[in-house]
Amino acid sequence: MIIRFERLEVISKKEFEMIDITPKVDEFVARSGVREGMVTITTAHTTSSLLVTEGVECLERDVPAHLERLAPKMPPQGTYGWYHNRYLDFDGRLGFNAGDHLKSILGGIQCFFPIDNGKVERGTRQCIYFVEYDGPLARTVMIQVIGQ
Amino acid sequence: MRGGIDFHVHPLLVREMIIRHPELEQACRETYHCGNAFQPLETMFLEMDSVGIDRAVLLPIDASSTRGATIYTNEQIVELCRMSDRFIGFASVDPRQPSAPDQLTRAIIELGLRGLKLDPGIQEFDADDRRLYPVYERAAQLEIPILFHAGMSWAPGSRLQRGHPLRFESVAADFPQLRIVLAHLCWPWVTDGVALALKYPNVYLDTSALYFDNPADFLRYAMTQQVPLTVFERSLRHQIVFGSNNPRIEIKCMARAVRSLGFSDGCLELIFRVNAETLLGRAG
Repeated sequence: MIIRFERLEVISKKEFEMIDITPKVDEFVARSGVREGMVTITTAHTTSSLLVTEGVECLERDVPAHLERLAPKMPPQGTYGWYHNRYLDFDGRLGFNAGDHLKSILGGIQCFFPIDNGKVERGTRQCIYFVEYDGPLARTVMIQVIGQ
Repeated sequence: MRGGIDFHVHPLLVREMIIRHPELEQACRETYHCGNAFQPLETMFLEMDSVGIDRAVLLPIDASSTRGATIYTNEQIVELCRMSDRFIGFASVDPRQPSAPDQLTRAIIELGLRGLKLDPGIQEFDADDRRLYPVYERAAQLEIPILFHAGMSWAPGSRLQRGHPLRFESVAADFPQLRIVLAHLCWPWVTDGVALALKYPNVYLDTSALYFDNPADFLRYAMTQQVPLTVFERSLRHQIVFGSNNPRIEIKCMARAVRSLGFSDGCLELIFRVNAETLLGRAG
């Protein structure tokens, strides 16, 4: 049994951004020496997601835009508000990013793929994205390979 | 809009400085009480760029006597300023030390810092205490602005009463040549802070206020309901400076909030750039 783990730093350059990390995952799996097994990819944050979708620029715009419609940073005036908009004593500041936490929940924080013959088995259209909802920020993505 | 200046930044989350000075982590977590992740300068500049903020005033707090710690020394501020010409460094001195005026002179003349930051809450003094007057006198001689924490403070151990704006009236009245900036709109005493600024032309207010809800909703309350926006637009347009209070508030969020209030373009130009340049210009 081989288990390998790595933290990958991803720097988002915009408030909303989908960053294709597929090559990084492929490279780590190849380096791990695992021939048969599984790779998990997890964001270490609660205002970002790990998503799998087709790797095209139009979807990179549509996905965060739709999640923002579902869970907006600022709900429409006079509709509803977030209980999270309050002082968080453990952070020494207010938490006014409930919408970003909710987008993270909707998008999910993790994905995994099988490894076969030393390669990540993905569909031909599938790309692995780190999705930023509160950038620009330096973020951490955790990659773990388990197999033999 | 470009060319903006954020007049109120505590550079506590700068990863490059934490690596060089690990003791700053304790100052950030325990003295200043901030729990956010450390970030590279790259992301700070990207965030500033996203809202047209070109430069940031960096503020230290010398709390040697009251907390046994400095939240950045003057030398560390200089070190950080040398990493980018986008930074404008302020000094801090421990006002309880008799040598504070001379320390201030050294910070301005020798280190090249551009103003003084004092925090009555963390440094535990009353702004109108006559024992502070030598510091104010020296700042006036050096022609530098003083940025005071004013209004409510989240800092552990600080007392609200030290932030009341009327504590600063004697300073404004007795040192008419000294430019003083009262931070955080003096919230919750916004009306008192505005009254001071209306009466004393050497009193400025910065926008870095957020105590509930979110930046846009909070500022809408403070700057349109507590005091009508027209007062700021018409009477105080030359005495308001943009400040974010980063890292307690993201620069991007505060900048968008100020711009959402309904100020005229001309007034926004004053708030985001011109008034800060006027304050800093006096430092030469």
